[in-house]
Amino acid sequence: MWTRKASFTFVGGIALLLVGMMISNHQLMIFGLSLIAFITVNSWLAGHGDVEVSRTLSADNLYKGDDLYVELVVTNRSLRRTQMLEVYDNIPHEMKLRTGLNSMRLNLGPGETARIRYSIRCPLRGHFSLGPVSLRFRNTFNLFMEEMYIPHHSDMIIFPQVTDIEEAYIKSRTPKMYTGATTLKNSGPGTEFYALREYVPGDPFKMINWKASAKTGDGTLIVNDTCRDAVTDVYILLDSRDVSRIGTVLKNPLENNTIAAASLASFFLKRRDSVAMAIYDEKLSYLQPDTGDKQYFKILSSLAGVAPKGNMPLQAVTNSLAPRFSRGSPVFILSSAEGDGTAPHAIRDLVGRGHEVVLLSPSSVDFERLVSRIPRMSYEVLKIERQNRMTALAGFGATVIDWMPDMELSQAMLQARGY
Amino acid sequence: MADDVSRQQVSVQTLHLRQLRKRWQILALQVIATVALVWMYMEVISTYVIGYLDHTLVLDQLDKYLVGETKGEYAIPMADWLTGLGSDGMARVYMPITLGVVLGGGMALLSFQPPQRQQRIKFWLIIALIGLLIGRLLSSWLFGMLFSWEWRIPDQDEFNYLIWPISMLATLMVMGFYLLPVIMGSKGIWGLSRRGVAWAIGFTLFFLAIHAILTFPIIFSVLGSAGAYIPQFDAQVGEPTIWGLITPQQGSLILIAILMLIFMESAFGVIRYMEYAFRLPESCKKDPEYVRQMENILNHHLYHTVFFLGITGVSTMVALGFHTILLNLVAGMTGSQWAHQVSESIELQLTYGLVISALLFLLVVAAMRFIVPWQRISGFIEHITSRQRS
Repeated sequence: MWTRKASFTFVGGIALLLVGMMISNHQLMIFGLSLIAFITVNSWLAGHGDVEVSRTLSADNLYKGDDLYVELVVTNRSLRRTQMLEVYDNIPHEMKLRTGLNSMRLNLGPGETARIRYSIRCPLRGHFSLGPVSLRFRNTFNLFMEEMYIPHHSDMIIFPQVTDIEEAYIKSRTPKMYTGATTLKNSGPGTEFYALREYVPGDPFKMINWKASAKTGDGTLIVNDTCRDAVTDVYILLDSRDVSRIGTVLKNPLENNTIAAASLASFFLKRRDSVAMAIYDEKLSYLQPDTGDKQYFKILSSLAGVAPKGNMPLQAVTNSLAPRFSRGSPVFILSSAEGDGTAPHAIRDLVGRGHEVVLLSPSSVDFERLVSRIPRMSYEVLKIERQNRMTALAGFGATVIDWMPDMELSQAMLQARGY
Repeated sequence: MADDVSRQQVSVQTLHLRQLRKRWQILALQVIATVALVWMYMEVISTYVIGYLDHTLVLDQLDKYLVGETKGEYAIPMADWLTGLGSDGMARVYMPITLGVVLGGGMALLSFQPPQRQQRIKFWLIIALIGLLIGRLLSSWLFGMLFSWEWRIPDQDEFNYLIWPISMLATLMVMGFYLLPVIMGSKGIWGLSRRGVAWAIGFTLFFLAIHAILTFPIIFSVLGSAGAYIPQFDAQVGEPTIWGLITPQQGSLILIAILMLIFMESAFGVIRYMEYAFRLPESCKKDPEYVRQMENILNHHLYHTVFFLGITGVSTMVALGFHTILLNLVAGMTGSQWAHQVSESIELQLTYGLVISALLFLLVVAAMRFIVPWQRISGFIEHITSRQRS
């Protein structure tokens, strides 16, 4: 493609040629001809984007706020020089460059390689992709350019932040009915032998008891079943309704809720408890209770993709899931409890079923205050309304934690004493 | 995996402007631009100006006026060896051009000083100029009033103190006007000012355009005796002595055009690369990869300046003489009446024939790109040589 400079030069050359011919002025004609010759000769020079790129990331999964180091290797595999090439590695607009630059002007000879190294900070959780790599060839004299891109992508997941809540949890009045691993003598994930049973698809191979399998004689695989180590199942219900987007991009109830869910999951999974998670927005997505790193990864991955949408009431969630909940297990509800008239009934039902319900509620009134000016009187009224709602929910038997925007999760957990 | 990604390294050579400005490629480009500017200016002067309306004629008139009006008491204050007065031919412009380049360089040097120092230098320069202009008049007049202890307006002798500074100012203005492209061009090249380069090119083009308008036959006939100061020539008339293709006058015009392109591309190129380096983050300025690629880019700019602008000049020359080649070719064909008629066709030798044949040649040159895989050949040679080197 011709640049503006080339177009002007060419048009200028033609114009000088014509004017020179009109007024029989050979000087103008010669100038015009020189400009046209300049463009013509330079058109010989064509760059190319026939380069090989490979991107290496310091991590495929990282936590919100972490730095990611990227190295983009550009190699000219052809037998021609690339000429002046601008390489630009597209990064999601949510990410911020920390060091280095995601672009470089280069001129690679045949077989030559260049490395672009930079680091970015990931301030938002989610599923992101680096790439494609944009290339722009420019003639040395900036007369011609061509834009190309190489569809080379690197996917990554930014998990929500995980904060340490252990100390806060011990100090708070949150019910502690699950203090460490005790065998329940039920079949499930654990270390102690429980019984032998037939292999079912999905069982890890390391569980296969080869001796017992050989003894069957008919090729049936037998596995060692283990006693379940987990004390109990912990259920986390995460409110991802549209109303939870109130606030700024970085500070809103949903962001706080994801941090809380990740931190709680990390805390309980480390204690070898089973953690289940339900996310409700326009639909309900549910992760079965499980233990271990795999479950932790599943939870974090789900949390990374959470976006505010829909308006599913809490009672619909509890009606659907409560029958699956283990008796007496604790349920954490992470919700601002705004715009949902069914919340008290849902909590009452859960408490009635014998669950210990903890409602961790980011204060949406205060989040809204971060982005818009709420008159003092209106703010006070809204605050009182919210406190009444929280008191009412506490009255149904839930432990209610009012979570302010500028408060750390561990601090908020200590607040559990207030109700 | 984290270990796989190496961090940015730090090289001894960096892309900080202080260092980059001293790189041989940048200096070479700046020197090329300066040489092209001075050469272009000299070509323009030798083709259009010298002997017709050059600065010495104006200064000579000014000198005569001063001598006549002051009965020989005053003359142009600058020495002849500085202004070129009394010299012949191009010798008139050598020293003024040198002064222009030095002045432009000085202005560039000033622009690199810290703002406070710049302000201070400008301030003292203005004070010195004011002192030079009215200093003697004021001191003589004020001391005169002080010693005679009376209020009076300055007398004629005291007013005469203004003649020297005003004539100095007039001389400088005349020379400044003539040397504007050199001064602004040098400032643009060494002071990295796009505006300076644009001024130099703009002024030269403006001069050529004015010349073209004034030499248009209808306008030229109106000028009367003033037309004697405007050189009029037909670049097409004459023997094609340069490679048997173009006349020396055509060669001179092509040279001006090519030198203007060299000056423009080198000066703007330096500014463009400096801007790019300036905008890079600190870590990239020290990164050996960026340094290496900048070196690659600068080296290739130099190659292209020499190679492509050289080819441009040659192809313009061939294009201008292409009608001669065609006519010779046709004349070489025997036995055809058509060939005989065409070879004697006067139209092909005039403007339209010349332009059409020149454009035809350039079209062929453009199409050569698809026929000769020169980039592959040069790339292959580079590949082989780099392998041998490694």
